[in-house]
Amino acid sequence: MTLLLLFNITNGLIVGAFYVLMALGLSLILNLSNVINFAHGGFLVIGGYIAYALTPYVGFWGALLLAPPLTAIIGLAVERVLIRPLYGRDPLYSLLLTFGLAFMIEDGTRFIFGPQGKPVAIPPFLAQPLSNDLFFITGYRLFMVAVVFIAVALLFILLRYSRLGVRIRAGTLDLETVAALGINVRMLRSLNFAVGIFLAGLSGVLAAGQLGLEPTMGTGLLMPSFIAIIVGGIGSLAGTLMGGLLIGVASGVTAVFFPAASEAVIYVLMAVILLTRPRGLFGEEGMMS
Amino acid sequence: MAIQRPWSVDRRTILQSGAAIAAAQFTSPYIIKARGETPIRIGLVDPLTGVYAAIAQSEVVGAKYALEQINNKGGVLGRPIELLIEDSANDVGTGVQKTRKLIERDQVSFIVGDVNSGIAIAMAQVTSEKKVLHIVSGGHTDPITGTGCSWNVFRICNSTTMDSAAIASTLIEKFGKKWYFLTPDYAYGHSVQAGFEKILKASGGSSSGSLVPLGTPDYSSYLIQAKAYNPQVLINVMGGGDQVASLKQFVQFGLDKQMAVGGALFELESIRSVPDNARIGWWTMEWWWDQPGVPHVTEFNAAMKKITGSSATARNWFGFASVQTLALIANQEKTLDAPKLAHALAGFKLPPEVALQPGAPEFRAGDHELMSTVFVGEAHPPQGDPDNMFTVRNPVPGEKAAGPVEATGCKIQWPA
Repeated sequence: MTLLLLFNITNGLIVGAFYVLMALGLSLILNLSNVINFAHGGFLVIGGYIAYALTPYVGFWGALLLAPPLTAIIGLAVERVLIRPLYGRDPLYSLLLTFGLAFMIEDGTRFIFGPQGKPVAIPPFLAQPLSNDLFFITGYRLFMVAVVFIAVALLFILLRYSRLGVRIRAGTLDLETVAALGINVRMLRSLNFAVGIFLAGLSGVLAAGQLGLEPTMGTGLLMPSFIAIIVGGIGSLAGTLMGGLLIGVASGVTAVFFPAASEAVIYVLMAVILLTRPRGLFGEEGMMS
Repeated sequence: MAIQRPWSVDRRTILQSGAAIAAAQFTSPYIIKARGETPIRIGLVDPLTGVYAAIAQSEVVGAKYALEQINNKGGVLGRPIELLIEDSANDVGTGVQKTRKLIERDQVSFIVGDVNSGIAIAMAQVTSEKKVLHIVSGGHTDPITGTGCSWNVFRICNSTTMDSAAIASTLIEKFGKKWYFLTPDYAYGHSVQAGFEKILKASGGSSSGSLVPLGTPDYSSYLIQAKAYNPQVLINVMGGGDQVASLKQFVQFGLDKQMAVGGALFELESIRSVPDNARIGWWTMEWWWDQPGVPHVTEFNAAMKKITGSSATARNWFGFASVQTLALIANQEKTLDAPKLAHALAGFKLPPEVALQPGAPEFRAGDHELMSTVFVGEAHPPQGDPDNMFTVRNPVPGEKAAGPVEATGCKIQWPA
């Protein structure tokens, strides 16, 4: 039983790492622009399908490199045309817009690529488990964790040391003052949105390799990512990181004792956190007020 | 005077928009128009969005093809037929609401659907209450033609008992009696697992399993549980995208080298969605496009290929057979009266051009289940034809797979 528990905790960390990648993109957009991006799962799907379409020409590695920036460009266009007019309004507006957008993306991919899932092959050397005992740690899952680690590290370096990152962080705390200092807030929001969607696109390529590709795949991955943000604390990227890992582990541990509740447990965890510490584990009070 | 901002939206606009969206739910569904002035309407409710979208769309394609054939031959009772298609969105409440709308507002004469067993059961309650003839095209759970059977409800696809009974002995003989179930946590999954467990227990086997919520994105924790149990066979009862994701992970974890995999269904739509290395295991097919020597199968397959570009699937046939059955029985009885048609359908044998399989399957009078052949076989990567990814090893007659009517628990109460 102890070994099983250890396996599930490790597995939970791997699953959680993936949620982190999704949740960080969501969190970036929410923190700076107050946009609750329900279309984030849709952008994940776009990333996956772009990779699927590119793979015959550029191979898996080429698709992995090209699909996320292409998804980010689409995200930029969406931000410019649809989201930008809603900045400064009640977050409900952008929530409704992105909620509808999610359906449009799902139906759009279904229309273009068909309702049937698409088989996505990964490089054979990544498709092997490490060993007979550690069968759940495959080369691809390790690679996925490494990509998440690198992406998170680069994001934190970007936010910590680059001019853009400093402005994003400052804007998260007080956008009006940032604007008063002469910084182009529109451009800042657009770039921030693009970075968030880049992470969604990257998540899409990685998820397609592991789980397959179909128009609805974003829906199931979106809610855990939202919960990761709430558990970790809105406004805190470190909190989002911890939240993602925590819900992955909680889900894995529950699967040992009561598999049917392994999905429900993350909602229970969120409810407990909201009741005992409404700002989340690392969140600052009043971030969403 | 208040300053009007360029992007301002007032409360009234939101309320009006909300009301418009709500009203849109009750607008006319997509209608496939046919010739003639007073068409007979068939309502089709299926999950066109969600995890079962691919197989639901396949049923729609088959149903539309049947509609075209019927109208080309003069329609039903000399009138053309129309197909009103509604999306249940894989949600019981929506499915029930759409069924009520089709019956009460659109005045359909017949209802077909749903792929999702839970929705099909709920729809059957509505059609029974409204006394509308209802063909369950693709919802498999036993109670539909078992404990919850009704005089007006007939089913084209197999019951879960039929599918599990057809393949269980093969899995036991080939691989052993220690099984682990990966089961979707809703009516269909529970029903299939119960069917398998009954047979396994009778043969002295043992089992364990995980109930998995629909739409679960990651199956690793369940597969860790499965491996810990060390079964001889993993019975994968998941469907649609869930089955695709779980099988992909099963193979990536190398579990295919440690245990066999199989189950009730691995539909062609799902086989197409996984990479070659995950096209494995022993399963049942409820209809198969490659049946040498069986009349009309080649023509149907060619027609589906012309429409979809791929070989016909069981779901294409479910949709086709559902609409054809309704037209055949109405033309035979020369009425649209539901009780009369239901009486006539009990024991009705499908003609070869609709049955598209060996023999002449009939709707069993005792439970209204179509005694369709169950094709037991093995999945594999394409051999020749790109859709040749399943080899039928043992076609099991429907009557044999279904067992006696008494065992289903169905007691049909006819209206006075």
